[in-house]
Amino acid sequence: MTVTENLSRQPAERRGPLADLDTPDTLEALFGDPDDLANPVGHQAFVDADERGDFLPAGRKVLEAYGIGAEFVPRALGGRLGQADDLARVLRTVFRHDGALGLGHGAINLIASSTVWAAGGADQQRWLASVLLDNRPTAGAITELAYGDDLARTRLRATERDGDIVLDGRKEVINNVARAHAITVLARTSEEPGSRSHTLFLVDPATVPRDRLRFLPRYHTSGMRGTHLGGVEFLDCPLPVSAAIGEYGDAMETILRCFQVTKSVASGATLGLLDTMLRTVTGFGVQRRLYGRTVAELPHAEAELAGAFTDLLICDAMTTTACRALHVLPRQTSVYAAATKYLVPEIEQGAADRLAVLLGARSFLREGPHGAFQKHFRDLPVAALAHSGATVCLATIIPQLPRLARKSWFVSSAPDPALFRLGQTLPDLDFGRLQANAGPDDQVMATLLDVGQEVQSDPVLRELCERLVGELRALTVGWRGLSPRNRTPFAGPVGFELAERYAVVLAAAACLGMWWHNQDHPNPFMRDTAWLISALDRLTTRLGYDPLPGAGDAARHVFTELLTRHAEHRAFDLVGRRLF
Amino acid sequence: MTTSAPESTAQVVSSEEIRDMLLNLVASYLEQPVTDIRSDVKLLDYGLDSIFALTLCGDVEDEYGIEVKSTLAWDYPTIDAITGFLHEALSERV
Repeated sequence: MTVTENLSRQPAERRGPLADLDTPDTLEALFGDPDDLANPVGHQAFVDADERGDFLPAGRKVLEAYGIGAEFVPRALGGRLGQADDLARVLRTVFRHDGALGLGHGAINLIASSTVWAAGGADQQRWLASVLLDNRPTAGAITELAYGDDLARTRLRATERDGDIVLDGRKEVINNVARAHAITVLARTSEEPGSRSHTLFLVDPATVPRDRLRFLPRYHTSGMRGTHLGGVEFLDCPLPVSAAIGEYGDAMETILRCFQVTKSVASGATLGLLDTMLRTVTGFGVQRRLYGRTVAELPHAEAELAGAFTDLLICDAMTTTACRALHVLPRQTSVYAAATKYLVPEIEQGAADRLAVLLGARSFLREGPHGAFQKHFRDLPVAALAHSGATVCLATIIPQLPRLARKSWFVSSAPDPALFRLGQTLPDLDFGRLQANAGPDDQVMATLLDVGQEVQSDPVLRELCERLVGELRALTVGWRGLSPRNRTPFAGPVGFELAERYAVVLAAAACLGMWWHNQDHPNPFMRDTAWLISALDRLTTRLGYDPLPGAGDAARHVFTELLTRHAEHRAFDLVGRRLF
Repeated sequence: MTTSAPESTAQVVSSEEIRDMLLNLVASYLEQPVTDIRSDVKLLDYGLDSIFALTLCGDVEDEYGIEVKSTLAWDYPTIDAITGFLHEALSERV
């Protein structure tokens, strides 16, 4: 089937994010031109706030005017939360301007609220919805410094005493906790080791006795210096029994399910940081003259800029697929969300590092027209680690991949095209359908074989797909041959390496799906093969292949599109909507 | 290690067979002789934690061709407990 024939299969009416690419969306319009020095929420204002180590009040006002809280509240409860990829794009806008705001007044609300939407009672849901709809901050007090992401070792205790629940213990490195109007707290409710010994509680800090709740000093950070990262200590603090979210002992399961949502959405959101870094360096490249031409006209700079743009498109394909899979393939997202949360920050950091080299000394200047770069550059690793680091993400998928190798790869059929079609509206997010572990049906990976068959007439794409299918074959053999020990917490480095390679092939499958199923994209660049070739070339290079000589032309097309989007103030993601 | 799963062939499986299968499975995870594994010891005490439980659930599903909750090993923390649950579930299927 040719691309044109594929187009005819698409619905005629454009909806969703592709409906209008030429007007900035509501939130982006409120932020306005970030380079305007007079803009109270421009880059300079955010850099200044970061220097002061605080949120920019005008930035908070923008989010309040927009009503950001409603984005986290399910539509059934009066909010706007329907589709995970829509939420990721809204938050991406915030991250484009400021990481501290994006995390502290954005993503953190999802971490705090998702467990309540998934497992909370009707009263709890109504109350938390009202808090968020009033744009009041919330916090998720899940981690303790001593155990980090190893949540099962949580020490903060909740015990029943005289008809109350009594919380005792502390939570550390919690975003916005001292300002929160609602806090979800992970507590140990049984001394038994294991995963049935924890319960989540929803705390209204305004109603607990003040002398039983103490906020810990703020942690100062290298990036996201505006975030208020603190801690909270409960001192025999009484709560009503009704504060429990769901059943006793269910917390770990609830968290395993909900964090698939938060991982997928957060990964898609942080792309805003890379968007701004790429925009800043592209702006520098087209203005700065060296050797009688602009920097951007130098072949090395051109390749690096086109590469970073391609990286961003790869990351968006992967995060958007993971987000939409929460709706279309909820049984599989335990693997997709973790693979995404591992690979996307890796790719972003690599791209940011190369952009910093290109920007030269200006990459560390904290003032002037490129000052936003160093701030976003410091914010990125903090954003990447926030919520769950690379190792824990890989550890989540390692035990699950041998089964996919045995039962699914080269067997599962391709998913419902709705998974990839940006213009197709999906049913609202249903937390109840998510599962703690993935079933043996990796349909996103099946897209590699499915769409791979459609590109046989293009010699470059055919070669790239052959490499990727070869890699999937090697992964199948690798996982099947791995000793059972490597499927446990005692997995050796070999398991981690195979998991990393799986994530790269999965990203390639997501790119193929996004390209093939969006042939109604209003921007011809997204329908053309250039970005896809560049993306697959970069991903196979990451797997150790040499760059394909035939992919060079594609990279030049990608570079041209980058310059166009830069000049037209368009986002560098799959949608490519105008920003201001 | 079990690699090929019989697809939902409903037949009576004895508790002994189930227990043996689980003992062998756990021994293979730990790379220890099966004689060193006890069916009344918590899997956690062998260091097999929450994420491992997900592995076990997949292997059990593939072995018997039934769907079990991913939290199987959380709710039934020893091989004996899992055996009891599985025996009942498999008998009901027959």
